[in-house]
Amino acid sequence: MTPAVTSSNDDRPDANVAAVLVYNELRRLARLYMRRERPGQTLQATALVHEAYLRLADGGKPWVDERHFVAIAARSMRQILVDHARARGAEKRWAGIDRVSLTESLVGAANEEAMLPALDEALTRLEALDPEQGKIVELRFFVGLSIEETADVLGMSPATLKRRWALARAWLFKELGGG
Amino acid sequence: MTPTQFRRMRDLFEQAVDVAPSELTAWLDLHAGDDREVRDELEALLRAQSQAGSFLPADVASRLPDVLSDDPGLQPGDVIGSYVIEREIGRGGMGHVYLADDRDLGRKVAIKALAPRLVRDESQRERLRREARAAAGLAHPGICTIYRLEERDGDLFIVSEYVGGRTLRDEISSGPKPEPGVVLDTARQLAAALASAHANNITHRDLKPENLMRTPKGQLKILDFGLALDGALDRAVPRVTQPGMLVGTPGYMAPEQLNGEPVDARADVFAFGVVMYEYASGRHPFDAPSALGMAAHAISKDAAPIAEQCPALPPSLAAVIDRSMQKVPDRRFRSASEIVAALEGGGAPAPRPVSRDEVAAWWRRHQLSAIALYIVAASLSWQIKEWAHGLSEMNFLLIAVAATVGGMFRGFLLFNERINPAGFAFERRRSKRILVVADAIIVIALAANGVIAFVARRPLVAAIAIALAVVIAFLKLVAEPTTTDAAFSERSR
Repeated sequence: MTPAVTSSNDDRPDANVAAVLVYNELRRLARLYMRRERPGQTLQATALVHEAYLRLADGGKPWVDERHFVAIAARSMRQILVDHARARGAEKRWAGIDRVSLTESLVGAANEEAMLPALDEALTRLEALDPEQGKIVELRFFVGLSIEETADVLGMSPATLKRRWALARAWLFKELGGG
Repeated sequence: MTPTQFRRMRDLFEQAVDVAPSELTAWLDLHAGDDREVRDELEALLRAQSQAGSFLPADVASRLPDVLSDDPGLQPGDVIGSYVIEREIGRGGMGHVYLADDRDLGRKVAIKALAPRLVRDESQRERLRREARAAAGLAHPGICTIYRLEERDGDLFIVSEYVGGRTLRDEISSGPKPEPGVVLDTARQLAAALASAHANNITHRDLKPENLMRTPKGQLKILDFGLALDGALDRAVPRVTQPGMLVGTPGYMAPEQLNGEPVDARADVFAFGVVMYEYASGRHPFDAPSALGMAAHAISKDAAPIAEQCPALPPSLAAVIDRSMQKVPDRRFRSASEIVAALEGGGAPAPRPVSRDEVAAWWRRHQLSAIALYIVAASLSWQIKEWAHGLSEMNFLLIAVAATVGGMFRGFLLFNERINPAGFAFERRRSKRILVVADAIIVIALAANGVIAFVARRPLVAAIAIALAVVIAFLKLVAEPTTTDAAFSERSR
């Protein structure tokens, strides 16, 4: 599986190279961890990203700093999770959910995986309007960063980030049919 | 909407959050009244925001490591050692199986890539290596030959003979009931192959129709020798206490295997019986809707005799199948070699199998009589205490406590034997020492009471007390080990 990562909104020339590199490292690390895993120990996505960064951190790599790296990794994770959901027939399941239970599904996190492909498409439309919105969702939702961490990566105040995250959620919620 | 409009709307959204609901319409008209599109979108978004609740929790991120470590498997063209993967031919609890091409020898091989969770730590890998090595020593036309063990990045690959054909499972689920002659031939082939392994002290431990392949030429082959590892059944089996303990597939596992006790060739004999039963009749002897239900039946319920299902089967074969499925290992054939002999001989009738229920009934009676004797012992001591004060009071106390504890544990065992067969072996082991101590206290105190009664000039009572002590001691030391062993095949340790 090779990620077809094209980040239209990333103006750095080596973005594709970086994405493939990060993608492979994430997968390699995750497998390594799962093999060593003991019951009760879970691997957090954020820890995984940090670990991958430390491992790839030596010079000459196509990213500026850890913030930039995290943004690339976040896009990789979105790709991975959405591809995985697609491979497991998420679209068909999503199409089978009727309008009545749709709002419930969106709010209650039921059918979360089934929602991913549709969410991904909506997010792509949102990015066309405002690339920053896409990054916020990737970091908050697909990597699980906190408000503060996300704000730090994007270089804005937590208060602003909180409001823009609220906007992204409202927009996606409306777009997915819950509004 | 254009990006510019969106940006304007975003900034307004950020301010609108602080506007009181009652003033919102006026506020929207004032700030976005000039652009209908922005105004309507903004209003819709504010409404959506109030409904969105916990929409987009970050739980999806926690699933990422699992998704990432999902074994993507080998792709056609991948190379393992000197083997080139051609395609995937199966996957199961143990891992993925591929058809591959041996470049050096120009033949087809099967490669089993063991699932990552099976090879997580070095001790597990070492055990797998050992098992594979042992199984590689088997050379029999009825056993799929293991050629090599390849390792790469901590992953283990078992390279074996490629066997084409149909599994016994395919035959069971598709075809009509096989002719008795075919059943006999299948039983003979299976027993002969299994016997050659047993002669080398190797047991399979996971014999099932899925692991038995019939080649187009009609040769039956046992697959996956020496690979019966845990994980194949996802916690369906009770008492998997140590990680990496060897287990099999519920429905084909012998009762002692299900109870987590040590297994030997007789567990394979049990599985042989179940497989042949299912093959001959098309019905599983311990059929149940769930794996757990099957396991419970395998432990506690006798299968209907195969002759009832397949009257046309040769009686000697039917007897072999029934005897193979006995609950108590001692009542089965000791190894597949004995099955071969029984099938070849054809004449020697197997001893009448005694059903487990019959023996268990004796065990139950024994427990009930032990409890009754406790009550008699306690009442007798009460009486002796009335006649002769002093030491007998302490004796009564001891007997009363020991009888209460012992009676409680025996009652608990009776309960477990009926209600919780899966946990029964464990409870039995656990309560063994307590029962020995309780009985010893009762016997000694009773004997002492006998002496006291004798001194108090009650020779008859003394005799009864001593006799009771002897009976309880006899029951504990001689009778109980016998009934327990007969019913559950556990020697008194």
